[in-house]
Amino acid sequence: MIFTGKALVVDDEPHVRKYISLILRSRGASAIIEAANGAEGFAAYERERPDLVLLDVNMPVQDGLETIKQIRAFDPEATVIMLTSLATRQTIEEAAESGALHYLRKDTPRAELVALLTELLGPDAED
Amino acid sequence: MPAASDESDLIDLKGCKILLVDDDRLNIRILRSMLQNEGYVLAEADSAESALVLYDDFQLDLVLLDVLLPGMTGFDACRELRKRHSAKAAPVMFITAKQEAEDVVEGFSAGGVDYVMKPFRQKEVVARIRTHLQIRLLSERQSTLVDQLSRANAAKNKFLGMAAHDLRNPLASIRGLAEFLRDGTVGELTTDQLELINLIHQASQNMVSLVNDLLDVATIEAGELRLMIAPVALADVIEKSVAMNAREAARKKTAILFEQCEATPVLNLDADKIRQVVDNLLSNAVKYSPPGSTVRVGLRALPLGAHAVTVRDQGKGIPEGERDRLFKDFSRLSVQPTGGEKSTGLGLAICRKIVDAHGGSIVAENLPAGGCEFRVTLPSSTQA
Repeated sequence: MIFTGKALVVDDEPHVRKYISLILRSRGASAIIEAANGAEGFAAYERERPDLVLLDVNMPVQDGLETIKQIRAFDPEATVIMLTSLATRQTIEEAAESGALHYLRKDTPRAELVALLTELLGPDAED
Repeated sequence: MPAASDESDLIDLKGCKILLVDDDRLNIRILRSMLQNEGYVLAEADSAESALVLYDDFQLDLVLLDVLLPGMTGFDACRELRKRHSAKAAPVMFITAKQEAEDVVEGFSAGGVDYVMKPFRQKEVVARIRTHLQIRLLSERQSTLVDQLSRANAAKNKFLGMAAHDLRNPLASIRGLAEFLRDGTVGELTTDQLELINLIHQASQNMVSLVNDLLDVATIEAGELRLMIAPVALADVIEKSVAMNAREAARKKTAILFEQCEATPVLNLDADKIRQVVDNLLSNAVKYSPPGSTVRVGLRALPLGAHAVTVRDQGKGIPEGERDRLFKDFSRLSVQPTGGEKSTGLGLAICRKIVDAHGGSIVAENLPAGGCEFRVTLPSSTQA
């Protein structure tokens, strides 16, 4: 994947943010912004206008499903990929209806995560 | 067996409630006096109709039922009880002057548990009543126990699921962050540091696998294995799995060959779950084959629209007599991984449950030339 844009990683767990950020950085992301919950995530989206959002589902303050709706209402073109751990079918469907591009399980091995991201973002992700 | 009789002797039958149904006052009096001595609580009715009313008010343990009664017969009353309360109905013992073989047969087919002819021998009736009450109480006790156990088991599964779930993400991050340290993304490491990081990585990898297996088992046991069915090219699923497992295989200089001869079938499957099955079979094949082996994966169409995925390894095969344990939870066989890999003993149990949920089957067979073959058959119902 050659993702040279700006990414926003929203997850309440610092180790997840760090891990996902390292993956994006190692694949060429120019800037990475981190946020620890949905409310912070949306504020960061408004402020930074990232090219890609990786968004956790279960978070304190404001969860990911609410946040994706907010982000997509603000910017219908926003590219959002959900980060899940034990997502139910219902969660995944709701995320898809809200305009999520796809979902990634956080425990996916790195090589596979990279492959999935490449597949999802593809050449379109090149700026 | 002394233990069993001790167990039944422990059952206190005093206070058991018995309903006596007879239109003959004398009979009732005889039964009453002999049963009161046993410590039972008694109720009486002189017709089937009033017996049915009493039955509902009075939580009964046994009904002693005459057959020839004014109005509804005892046989009909028994049928009615079975209809209303099914298996939970109190046992009914007929006590009657009707002596024909067909009467006895009708009594049992109406749902009675016993049939005593008048004139009866008192001691025999008391002994029969005791037996039926014991069976009744034991089976009630058993079903309470089963209820309690299944609730406890559900609670355990829920806890297991929550614990495993909460462990999984941090473990996956530890594994992922260790990978970044290992590959030098964040700076060069000394040989000693690299060795430590490799150990951390390996240990976290093993824990992630264990936790995933536990989660799967918890989900499946809770009856929450839900498939997300969509049309998918089975060959693609296999190819991805082969690509991922090839990495681990390369460490043991083992090659994984995917031999696909026909046009690629598109099937209605839960791609993630089937991928999990193939992953499991491939990693097992690598794990149990000596270094430098070749693992062969096959995909072929079977008659009538079914498909089979096969994985052949070059390991020692399944020891005779251990085949039954292969697909059971936590049952590791006596064969050991050839590269010191870990196994939870859950993988194949999970595979079988996933394949079952697709209506398919999974079998394993030792090959005459050595090694063994796992074969997953997906039925024609999966055809897209």
